[in-house]
Amino acid sequence: MTSNIERLHLTHPLHFVIGLTLWCIWFVAVYGGHAVACAVAPPAPEQGVFTLVNAMLLMVSLAATVLLAVLTLGCCREAKRHEGRLRFNAAVSAGLYLFSTLGVVFTALPILGIPPCL
Amino acid sequence: MTTINRQATPQEPQNPRDPQGLHEDLHEIWGNPRGLKALTIVNHTTLGLRFMVTGMVFFLIGGILAMLVRTQLAFPDQDFMSPDIYNQVTTMHGTVMMFLFAIPMLEGLAIYMIPKMIGARDLVCPRLTSLGYWCYLFGGIILMSSLVLEMAPNSGWFMYTPLSSSEYAPGLGSDFWLLGITFVEISALSAGVELVVSILRTRTQGMALHKMPLFAWYILAMALMIVVGFPPLILGSILLELERAVGMPFFEIAGGGDPILWQHLFWLFGHPEVYIIFLPAAGIVSTLIPVFAGRPIVGYGWVVFAIIVTGFISFGLWVHHMFTVGIPQLAQAFFSAASMLVAVPTAIQVFVWLATLWLGKPKMKLPMLWIMGFLIIFVCGGLTGVMLALVPFNWQVHDTHFVVAHMHYVLVGGMFFPLIAGLYYWLPLFSGRMPSETIGKWGFWLTFLGFNGTFLIMHWTGLLGMPRRIYTYDTGMGWDIFNLLSSVSGFIMSAGIAMVLLDIALHFRFGKPAKQNPWNADTLEWANFMPPSAYNFVSLPKIETRHPLWDDPDLPRTMAEGKHSLSVANHGRREMWGTDPITGKVREIIHLPGNSWLPLFAAMALAVVCISLLVRVYPLAGVFVIVAAVLLLRWSWENGAHPKAAPDAEVAPGDPPLHSRTMDGPGLWAMAIALLANGSFFLCYLFGWFYLWTVSPEWRMPETSPLSLIGLVLAGLLVTFGAGVLEKCVRGLRQKRDAGLAISMYSISALGFVQVAITLWVLLSANLEVTETAHDAIMMVGLVYALIHGGLGAILTLLQGLRVGYGYVGAHAPFEPAVVAQLWRYNVVTFWVLVGALAVLPRVIGS
Repeated sequence: MTSNIERLHLTHPLHFVIGLTLWCIWFVAVYGGHAVACAVAPPAPEQGVFTLVNAMLLMVSLAATVLLAVLTLGCCREAKRHEGRLRFNAAVSAGLYLFSTLGVVFTALPILGIPPCL
Repeated sequence: MTTINRQATPQEPQNPRDPQGLHEDLHEIWGNPRGLKALTIVNHTTLGLRFMVTGMVFFLIGGILAMLVRTQLAFPDQDFMSPDIYNQVTTMHGTVMMFLFAIPMLEGLAIYMIPKMIGARDLVCPRLTSLGYWCYLFGGIILMSSLVLEMAPNSGWFMYTPLSSSEYAPGLGSDFWLLGITFVEISALSAGVELVVSILRTRTQGMALHKMPLFAWYILAMALMIVVGFPPLILGSILLELERAVGMPFFEIAGGGDPILWQHLFWLFGHPEVYIIFLPAAGIVSTLIPVFAGRPIVGYGWVVFAIIVTGFISFGLWVHHMFTVGIPQLAQAFFSAASMLVAVPTAIQVFVWLATLWLGKPKMKLPMLWIMGFLIIFVCGGLTGVMLALVPFNWQVHDTHFVVAHMHYVLVGGMFFPLIAGLYYWLPLFSGRMPSETIGKWGFWLTFLGFNGTFLIMHWTGLLGMPRRIYTYDTGMGWDIFNLLSSVSGFIMSAGIAMVLLDIALHFRFGKPAKQNPWNADTLEWANFMPPSAYNFVSLPKIETRHPLWDDPDLPRTMAEGKHSLSVANHGRREMWGTDPITGKVREIIHLPGNSWLPLFAAMALAVVCISLLVRVYPLAGVFVIVAAVLLLRWSWENGAHPKAAPDAEVAPGDPPLHSRTMDGPGLWAMAIALLANGSFFLCYLFGWFYLWTVSPEWRMPETSPLSLIGLVLAGLLVTFGAGVLEKCVRGLRQKRDAGLAISMYSISALGFVQVAITLWVLLSANLEVTETAHDAIMMVGLVYALIHGGLGAILTLLQGLRVGYGYVGAHAPFEPAVVAQLWRYNVVTFWVLVGALAVLPRVIGS
């Protein structure tokens, strides 16, 4: 139990992979969800981007962005509090969380401008 | 004994033996046999070299095929080759270069170099290294034999369906590809698993993650990418071979399949593959530039960041190879954006390399010449990659020579140039001799100029509309002069490569003897003898910094004199440290198996399976599957407390216990990483099921599910109960309790066999029409997957029961049941997911 809690600590190298794993899960969810939505209930083309599909995809992206941003800030704080190995781990994790956050924002941008099923 | 001594502080010997005596003792244990017994060698140094030499042979064959292609295209309306032979040659060129040269060559380098760089004596699963090599060699020979027989695959190196399906590719060509490549991939996965575990668990004392050489970071990422990235292609190959051999219509529209599923599965592997090739090469660059700049790399943390980002993002780009298949614009935009994202970590690395050169005092030795060539070519290839990430441009140049040019700029620039730089850099380590700067420079300039002459021009022929994979063209198309220049330059490049190979060959005899650490490098591999001994290091040092040889130039001498740890050999075991994956603190002594015939025999049995499937003699294939399984189980038998492994557990005072006497050995990690690969395969299977269900235009779901839900639930409860009992046994072993262990193991095994029997009954009673509908075919694949895993779990547990009886497993050696328990946990999860996906969801959602 103690070791599991230690693994959750933001200076643990497991955070090297958590941020980008979240990015991957978000990416698969958005791509897969979009494909299923278009197969099951494609909105009318004249609706443009104002569709339930776009709204849902944006909501999911927003949630992923907030979660990753919080983890970025947490790792930044930890990096300032430590030296040596722990600082290295937290700083690299912070960078990776930040990249994942921006990655979600950048990849999700087309949802604002492209109709879903054309 | 079962407690992990996480704070172990090994004692350095007070009065070490004389160095020559130590060397002889270690050589007695680790030394390689000669003659026929050389086939039993499991040592990483020898096998790494074998991988690289074999890879170079395949490279020469692939290069000759490339020259045949360029000869054919040199002039319009040529009939130097018939269209069919041309298709075979282009397909085999791509296949050989990607699967038989690039990956195995880099794996070979990693297998050779990683233990030396991290201060270990071998990789953690030496017999697996050997099995991997033999599978690679036999798979390669099987694949190449198709060329000699003039029945090579001819559908392109990505084997798109339906072109590769039996209707359009009758004969055995596609089968050679599917079976041969799957066989070779056993090798890649073996190397992937053991490189991950070796890097995480066998670094020398004190080498915490943040002190690890950058090359090890790159290889760690590459190995994990292989583990996750190769299973999609293995699944795709199995499905396509089943379609061709049995008629299961996975990729056939009329049967409810979809040819685009193949493209997804192929590129789920294929795009990460590019980075699997690039990352180790970038690791060579990140290793060499600081050495020749004479200063530490600028931004070690940034490089680690870039490696991890590349490893992940590269899995989110696969659809950019499929922009023209009719995917919605929004989905294309997702993949276009992700494709642009991957340029960020690559650019970070380029700027780090430039900054290191800028702030250091670079010496333009021969390896650096190749690094400079890499920087120029790879940056150009990266830029055209960003162009191709843009959907409208991609549509314009899709399937033209522009894509061929881009791919070669990335792969030759990003892999071949750094590889040659690395070979020149480590040549003194391989042989103890220096290469010729003069021949080497000629080789570089001919290759560099020839390469750009060949492929820069191909960008133009591509923009002029010349499609790829056409065997000839009319003279009126305006491509004549460009193709001629490309072909001439291709031969100049070949001359350059021939000079490099000549230089390498000659240096073994005529090269000047190299001094110790000739480039003044900072990493531990240069503390080896030159050429290295079979055990690498007489004693294993404690590492305090990222640059052990810069901070303590005397380290090679003191290591060779046995003044550091584990310099005892009178126990007769092959030993090295098992350390904490994060901090590098010593946790246990890992004892390794010695030379063995088993990997060779197992690979030979698998080769017979491969050939039997190819010629469709299925009973013979079945017999040799059993032979291979028996050999592999025998291999697993000679472990732990077995007399051939480590019958006694004595260690020097102050040293930690042997890994087989703890609950923390590397086998746990190897099983976990192998299950990661297995999980990737399983997720791809689920993707295939849901993809066909959602997308396939002729998908036919029956009104009622053919699978017995009661039967599946009963089987699921049995496997869950068995896993629970096994977990209880493992908890008992942690507390040194082993009463009734054998009976428990036999009982759990029996539960496993009953689960298999029930699952088999469910499968047989479903009366699936596997050749009629993709629905039934893919359902059958899922159930067979469950059967194989259930059977494996039951057999391994049965063996554990036997091992308890022999005294190889118990409170004194508690490790192995914990390894088997991981498989049972995996089986529980995947079985219930299968029940949900195949039997519950169709009932809930309907067709």
